[in-house]
Amino acid sequence: MPGPGPSVVLGLAHISKTFPGTRALDDVSFDVRRGEFHALLGGNGSGKSTLIKILAGVYHADAGGMITVDGHTVDAERTSPEDARAAGLHFVHQNPAVFPALSIAENMAIGHGFERGVAGRIDWKALRRRTSALLERFDIPGRPDTLVRDLRPAERAMVAIARALQDQEGEEAGLLVLDEPTASLPRAEVVRLLGALTRYARDGQTILFVSHRLDEVVDTADRATVLRDGRVAGTVEGDEITEDRLIELIAGRPLEHVYPEMPEVADAEVVLDVRHLAGGPLVDVSFQVRRGDVLGVAGLLGSGRSELLKMLFGAYRVRSGEIVLDGRPVRFRHIGDAMRAGIAYVPEDRGGEAAFPNMTVTENMTAALVDRYWRGALLRHRAEDADTRAGMLEFGVRAASEHQELALLSGGNQQKVILARWLLRRPRLLLLDEPTQGVDVNARAEIYHLVRQAVADGCAVIVVTSDFEELAHVSDRVVVLNQGRVTAELRAPDISATRLTELAYTMREVAS
Amino acid sequence: MSLTDETASAPQAATPAGPEADRHRAGRDRVLEFVERYALVVLFGLTFLFFSLWSKTSSTFPTTRSVRVVLGDQAVIGILSLAITIPLVCGEFDFSVGSVAGLTQVLCAGFMSRLGAPVVVAVLAAVAIGALIGLANGNTVARVGVNSLIVTLGVATLLGGVVTWYGKGQTIVLHISKRLTDVGSGNWLGVPRTLYFLAVVAVLVYYLLEHTPYGRYLHSIGSNRDAARLVGLRVERLVLIAFVLSGLLSGIAGVILVARNGNASPQVGTVADTLQALAAAFLGATAIKPGRFNVVGTMVAIFFLAFSVTGLTLAGVADWIHDVFDGAALFVAVLISTVVGRKRAGLG
Repeated sequence: MPGPGPSVVLGLAHISKTFPGTRALDDVSFDVRRGEFHALLGGNGSGKSTLIKILAGVYHADAGGMITVDGHTVDAERTSPEDARAAGLHFVHQNPAVFPALSIAENMAIGHGFERGVAGRIDWKALRRRTSALLERFDIPGRPDTLVRDLRPAERAMVAIARALQDQEGEEAGLLVLDEPTASLPRAEVVRLLGALTRYARDGQTILFVSHRLDEVVDTADRATVLRDGRVAGTVEGDEITEDRLIELIAGRPLEHVYPEMPEVADAEVVLDVRHLAGGPLVDVSFQVRRGDVLGVAGLLGSGRSELLKMLFGAYRVRSGEIVLDGRPVRFRHIGDAMRAGIAYVPEDRGGEAAFPNMTVTENMTAALVDRYWRGALLRHRAEDADTRAGMLEFGVRAASEHQELALLSGGNQQKVILARWLLRRPRLLLLDEPTQGVDVNARAEIYHLVRQAVADGCAVIVVTSDFEELAHVSDRVVVLNQGRVTAELRAPDISATRLTELAYTMREVAS
Repeated sequence: MSLTDETASAPQAATPAGPEADRHRAGRDRVLEFVERYALVVLFGLTFLFFSLWSKTSSTFPTTRSVRVVLGDQAVIGILSLAITIPLVCGEFDFSVGSVAGLTQVLCAGFMSRLGAPVVVAVLAAVAIGALIGLANGNTVARVGVNSLIVTLGVATLLGGVVTWYGKGQTIVLHISKRLTDVGSGNWLGVPRTLYFLAVVAVLVYYLLEHTPYGRYLHSIGSNRDAARLVGLRVERLVLIAFVLSGLLSGIAGVILVARNGNASPQVGTVADTLQALAAAFLGATAIKPGRFNVVGTMVAIFFLAFSVTGLTLAGVADWIHDVFDGAALFVAVLISTVVGRKRAGLG
């Protein structure tokens, strides 16, 4: 590899990273030049987060890789957060860790240390003075005493950036790494933040910007590097940066501009008909699910995919639109209403929203139908246990006994218990949000096997997962959710992960 | 359909040490579990045995009389610990139980003594007031969403002031119904009558927590509130009811205080009783069903604490041992449940 010239701030050479069973990064090499706005793109699982973690010193790369920062080369096998910081790499993550209840000045001091005066008291005057200078340099509208929570979201991100860069000498040193800073921001805020970033770059700040919103990259980046399956798919610059070209690189094949007409298959009855649903991030969502159908929902983080499921379950406020279940319009005021209507929901965050960790397998499995065992003024524990043992066999739950605490089971077995909790209710419509997250390969297959059995029994299923490969594998139909709208619909056998990636990343409105 | 069908070939999770070691480990786990469940019961037995044999207490401790007194005296604190257990199960603190008992005691006695109310009316009114305070607590915690610790501590302090105002700092002794005080002092079948009340309340709370859907719902809320909401539980309403029940039971405890003491003193029924009840509930959660607040464990804890303190007092140790013992019990109980909980999680 030729030695990086002085104009290169960050040089990556032959970076690989192997996790048990997968190769997350495979011989990645590229440079970031001084003063450029460099975008790093890639689909889910392309390796971009792994690469950022290696840069930050959180992960160590496999042997043989080299990282050069400002002319100093280090072995990528031995990096540490301290080294990264000392070398001049500054990171700002998706949800910047600013303290909303503290003032801007206090937020700055927490990254840097408080200015001290006599007897160790905080020298507020000096701190305010330094903060004022930073606010001016980073163009943040606010005073040192302004509370961060009173700032707009984009400005909070700017505070985080200013805090990360406050110790840096001048604009031209070091590298600012932004890891999807716009993912959770509304549109108007994104524009504001990108404007600020462009100004910083013009002043000479080098920026490495990780994003999945192509339009942002097209408008602002000097160069863009795309990762696919752990490798560099290509680096493009200047006029070459177009949405089509980027999608091609992300998906790995030329973009098809023609969306084929959907053949109309109308055999089974419609279980769910969603009409112009809006609320939260959803703008206008319409689709149908038929009996015995598995509908996949493909969308990136922030597309509204999880909120959609919660709305159908009565757990998220619907602003407008109609949900028609079995031909009757429904409006759930409470989750109990949705459950009585035959809807079941397996949430994305198992630990936070589904598991009762210190309760038994029985108590977890019967949690959604406790009243079934309330007979003759007694909760029938024996019947509950017997049904749970049967359920454990049916759903392949491996546990010492039905009295074991759920927390002691493996992730896959916990997920099967949660799935059993809902399938035992024999739902009409099953909503699954990332049903195989944190689950090993075997359990994943088992979980989808169980879902298929439910489908065979006449249940309709909606699956949300960010793993497009999996989605292509399990769905009969897929709707693509993009910025709160359904932008495309695919039907088996025309569903493929590459196709879904293209569609999920396309910003254009697609005529259906 | 295009779902995968790899289940048939999915290998079982490999067990590195083989079935022999598995059986061995399962056996050891069972022994450990048994020790964990019954350690407090065994400790209780040993303590009782020790004070019965120790030369300093062997003449006074194991007598029918002293055992009766200890048993009879535990009814109030026992009911309070059951009262505090109900909100604890769903993850909320009710620090007002002792003070509610203090207030209802003074009101029950006052209704009879000052207003000449019939005993039935006085008792029912006192219990109802307890429930109403619970309703106020529950509303503030569950519907408004204020931290239960702060709310109930505030209410406890406030009630202490009301007691002093209502009783003018004096003990109410006149015109207390003899029918009521008979209940407090007499024996049935050689056992103090108040103990029957404790037994009935304990059975009812046990039934509520272990054999009704409501009890299961409270456990679920205590385990994971968001998950409870997502299985369709109306969390606010259920938590509110827990506070009403806790207030109601505290009201009953207040009435039993009058029955037992034959009067109503402003010094009785305070935050100190709440802390004692809390200690018993936490200590109880380390026994019988470790890691869970449970009625049987709480009852074992109550009597373990009571007999230990009585034994020490009879041996001539000064009064302060009471507070030290209760405080240490709370401390040790929380310590044990945290350490054991961490270890159990580590096992998975």
